[in-house]
Amino acid sequence: MPKNLRSFNWGYLAIALGAIAVIVLPMMVTTRYSTNLLILGAAWGIAAMGLTVVLGYTGQISLAQASFVGLGAYGIALGTTRWHMNWWVALLIGVLMAAVAGLILGMTTLKLSGHYLAMVTISFQIIFTLIATNWRVVTNGPDGVTGIKRPPFLFALNSAQKYAWFAMGALFLIGLLVYFLRKTRLGRSMVAVRENELAAEALGVDTIRTKIVAFVLSGIIAAIGGAVYASGFLYISPDTFSFETSVQFLAMALAGGTESVLGTILGAFALTLLPEFLRDFKKVYLIMYGFVIIMVIVFMPEGLWGFVNLIGRRFVKPKALPKAKNPLQVGGQGASGEDLLAVANLGKHFGGLKAVDAVDFTVKRGELHALIGPNGSGKTTCINLISGLYIPTFGSIKLKGQEISGVRPNRIARMGLSRTFQNLRLFKELTVWENVLIGSQRKGGTEAQIADRALAAVEFVGLESKVQERCKNLPYGHQKLVEIARTLAGEPELLLLDEPAAGLNQTEKQEMVGLLQRLHAAGLTMLLVEHDMSLVSQVSDRMTVLNFGKKISEGLPDDVLADPVVVEAYLGNREVALGA
Amino acid sequence: MRRGMGLFLALIMVVLVGCSSSTPAPATSSAGKDPAANTKPIKLGLIIPATGASVEAGRFQKQGAELAVEEINKAGGVNGRPIKLVIEDDQSTNPGAVAALQKLLEDKEIPMIVSSIRSTQIQAMLPTINEAKIPVAIGGTNYGLTHSNSQWVFRFRPHDGMSAKVMVKFVVEELKKTKIAVVHNTDAFGNGGRDMVIEALKPYNLKIVSDQGFNTDEKDFTGVISALKQSGADAMVSYIANSPDLGILAKQMKQQNLNITWVGSPSITGQDGIKLAGDSLNGTYGIADYNADSSPKAKAYQTAYKAKYNNEEPDHYSAWSYDAVTIFAEVMKKNPDLKADALRTALLAIKGFQGAEGEYTFDKNGDGLDHYNIVQNNNNTFKLAKTLHVPRD
Amino acid sequence: MDLPIFGQNLLAGVAIGGVYALVALGIVLIYRATNVVNFAQGEFSMLGAYALFALTSGLKLNYFVAFLLSLALMAVLGLLFELGVYYPLRNRTFLPVVIATIGASIMFQNGALAIFGSSPEKLRPVIQAGTHGGITLGGVFFDYQYVVILIVTGLLVVIQYFFFEHTLLGKKMQATSQDKDMARLLGIPVATMIAITFIYSTLLGGLSGMLVGPIFFVTHRMGGMLGMKAFAATIIGGFGDVRGAIIGGLSLGIVEALGAGYISPIYKDAFAFLVLISFLLVRPQGIFGEKVSEKA
Repeated sequence: MPKNLRSFNWGYLAIALGAIAVIVLPMMVTTRYSTNLLILGAAWGIAAMGLTVVLGYTGQISLAQASFVGLGAYGIALGTTRWHMNWWVALLIGVLMAAVAGLILGMTTLKLSGHYLAMVTISFQIIFTLIATNWRVVTNGPDGVTGIKRPPFLFALNSAQKYAWFAMGALFLIGLLVYFLRKTRLGRSMVAVRENELAAEALGVDTIRTKIVAFVLSGIIAAIGGAVYASGFLYISPDTFSFETSVQFLAMALAGGTESVLGTILGAFALTLLPEFLRDFKKVYLIMYGFVIIMVIVFMPEGLWGFVNLIGRRFVKPKALPKAKNPLQVGGQGASGEDLLAVANLGKHFGGLKAVDAVDFTVKRGELHALIGPNGSGKTTCINLISGLYIPTFGSIKLKGQEISGVRPNRIARMGLSRTFQNLRLFKELTVWENVLIGSQRKGGTEAQIADRALAAVEFVGLESKVQERCKNLPYGHQKLVEIARTLAGEPELLLLDEPAAGLNQTEKQEMVGLLQRLHAAGLTMLLVEHDMSLVSQVSDRMTVLNFGKKISEGLPDDVLADPVVVEAYLGNREVALGA
Repeated sequence: MRRGMGLFLALIMVVLVGCSSSTPAPATSSAGKDPAANTKPIKLGLIIPATGASVEAGRFQKQGAELAVEEINKAGGVNGRPIKLVIEDDQSTNPGAVAALQKLLEDKEIPMIVSSIRSTQIQAMLPTINEAKIPVAIGGTNYGLTHSNSQWVFRFRPHDGMSAKVMVKFVVEELKKTKIAVVHNTDAFGNGGRDMVIEALKPYNLKIVSDQGFNTDEKDFTGVISALKQSGADAMVSYIANSPDLGILAKQMKQQNLNITWVGSPSITGQDGIKLAGDSLNGTYGIADYNADSSPKAKAYQTAYKAKYNNEEPDHYSAWSYDAVTIFAEVMKKNPDLKADALRTALLAIKGFQGAEGEYTFDKNGDGLDHYNIVQNNNNTFKLAKTLHVPRD
Repeated sequence: MDLPIFGQNLLAGVAIGGVYALVALGIVLIYRATNVVNFAQGEFSMLGAYALFALTSGLKLNYFVAFLLSLALMAVLGLLFELGVYYPLRNRTFLPVVIATIGASIMFQNGALAIFGSSPEKLRPVIQAGTHGGITLGGVFFDYQYVVILIVTGLLVVIQYFFFEHTLLGKKMQATSQDKDMARLLGIPVATMIAITFIYSTLLGGLSGMLVGPIFFVTHRMGGMLGMKAFAATIIGGFGDVRGAIIGGLSLGIVEALGAGYISPIYKDAFAFLVLISFLLVRPQGIFGEKVSEKA
């Protein structure tokens, strides 16, 4: 079913064409020189595809790709020459080494991101080169390793052309894997991490695990590329797997389009072949190489492929949506009126600032509970504590009777709690559909079930006509709806809404009230943080009022709003509180 | 997402077809019989690092080869046929070197190839050379290059085993030093040299007193210098290819007052090293496969080189490729059919041929030279101290 | 332990550390103003050194005239760099900017290679005196150029402190680096402030190259490792603070020099990067750092 949602479905044709290319290309190139370029292009294409996973999908920078390639290449080289192993066993060893290296680098993402991560990967790369060059007993040092064997295969790989088939076949298979990875749950989780880590975590994506898996996969893929290279050229030495090569892989992925498999392959072949064509203009080429990287970044942020794609998208109309088979089942099972969420003696101090101080309240199943209070009273901090983004200084938070304080957000989310953010945290570069799909993943099930829930969620908020648009192109009001649909698709039991009406105009606000009321009617339990008093009083069953981090009142809306303590708390900005 | 796949494939195909079809048709085998073909230029392949880390060596290598070609063609070429160089860039990388070699091999009119100076890249090309079965001249000095059962590589420089033997012989027998340290880059050249020095000291029952390796582009040698001081070495043998490393080391040794007998690998006599080190290299010894005073032929080469290249001093980077082209032309004269096997046999038969570097006699491994000149730096002019021959193996 | 040898190693560490610090200073300033790490900062050193080389050896200008002229050239380059690389990407995430600066560094390196060739060049030291360009005290050799580098680095720290704390322009620049939106509301021309930061950082980079040129020699490759080490120094010291660059640079230099002197010169760079990685894992905010984590 989600297939008919894809805007252009040329996938199978492309795969068929690719398969033909794998068979035909090595036959078309008759000279050793061009066959070799084909092998080199295939090996580097595989290596660069590791970056598609880690950088393109997951958004984590890695400048250590050449070291992963090196591990794979050394595995094959030393395994087949020194230890006389079967090629495939040697491959396994190289791949395992790269996987472990990927695991180590991936684990650093627990603590580091951005520039820090870039630096760690660079350090790793430099240390790899130093070891490969200087640990001569094992690596044979700068002399490198000669006499590398070719793999035993269905047919003997005793000529360059036959090996080119093998290399192109490997490229094709890895390409398919990486391409379909993007369409799996893991692939979507990766993209979610790239787009907005916090939101991904709050939607039940284990961001740390996803990043580690991405690095490990990237290492494995690169190591396979290294193995293909080593057996193609029958000789390796450490200077091939240097920092410069890592930068080159980055350039390949970027030029073609980091997120696209075909783009990366295109980039790899282009940057392998171009220097060969421009042999006579070498100096110019090298200067242009740096210049072109900058130009691509500035003018074609999605690479050549993204550019082609952008044009392609204009000519293809999105197909119509099917109807959802099952209605949304928000709210979960359980006796209405039981304590779904129980907050007791909850506190969060930032240094001397007591943002939340010994707050108690409960949210009963089925009710819409509002958390209000003047600016800086600790409402958002409360929501961040409940959803796990902050760890409480003290106190307890129980969801369905289970203690969740200190539990990581993705675990809490998978227990049935979902949330929206005050400042929207959408996966901006993705379509509405993908946003909602990622939200739907929280509840698991088959791909069809995930898609069906996503459809139902889109229908619930009324965004059917916008599913194929990228979120960043939507008006603000629609973006708010996407964020809610994204949480609904996971069919949460408890939804935390952080100022859903902020920034909306009057009409949109009324639509939001309608949506909340419909959700309420459907049985969804909600905890609502909102400034707009008229909205709050229209929809909420009960209220808790915070001021300076402490609870000052609680009860039915009319009682609370009449409570003198509450009136006094709002006195400073009475108009804001009661107007609008 | 998948649109344009066809476009992409078409592009790749065009590109690859382009590669393959740009190769000229195989040469006719009738060359030499047809009188019209007698003036047809003979193509000679030349692989140089024209980009990347080793460009400097590449520039000299090209100049030496071009000087040789000019002289040969002026003197009537190879039986009337002029030589034409076909130059490919190895990009200073292994895949680049292999690609450059294969590009040249596609052209069946090329009977012989003069390849690169960096040992690693020659190592990478070896499988292809063995498969191609045509004579390839090399300038890399790594011992193993001619000792790995390849029938087709011919070395136009002495190898590191010889350089180590020469240096050790000079230090121990002539200078009477016994506490010898080795200082080297940790690249293939430096590590190989270090091993050979240890080997060469064995007959004298000596061991090195200190082994100081450092990575290329090191900026501070205080660690190396203090280790040398503490080791009590009275002489050091160095294998350093990178001239900035050499320059900084020499300067800092003087600054930190380490005065020690120093015999260095060829770069110590190179122009770059002298420019950077200033007077710090004064008094050091260096080995040079090329020295202008070593023979009249070497002198003549210097004169011709300076005349052609703006008064630039020639060094071994150019001399070896000059000799390679000259000797290749010589064997081609005797074998106008340009059959690889005959050319190879003719090369192996070369005995006592006087080149700019010295007297070439090829042994069964393909090594042409067995000597080094030892020169002393005397205020940045070089005085020939001794020419030492060593037994081959 | 042999005291003069230890002293010599320590001095080498401090001196090289001073060089790292000088380059790191430029990285920190740009980072504070724009939240961008400039991977091309090392190339500014290389370009500064080549500029001075071209003006003194090519045009035969007086050394000090050439020195000032090179600084002016670097300032122009800084502006061009800001307009060409940073400005178009100012609203994008860190990744494109990092990659663009890597692209720029490739371009600068190969440009220098094309223009000046690969043969290393020599620069004149600032002070031409003494035997071997320095003086031996207590068995330890002091290279005058190293002394100059340390003095210049020290002076720059003082001047920079005075500039940021006691001048209007400095305060405006500080406000810009702390909160761009707020600065804009206060009527500070944020774009201009950022441009000035780039110009000044490029100038610093160029200056560092002109000062280390006589010691390291000038090659198109000289900026690569220098920039990387300076970046490492910045992380060790912490991105938030000018003091961090100085302390980070010096400690990195000392670790390297002592590691090379007493353990193994081969793995000298490995020591540097291992220290860096352990710092990143144990104290990612650096010695004087700011918080690394993202706020909800």
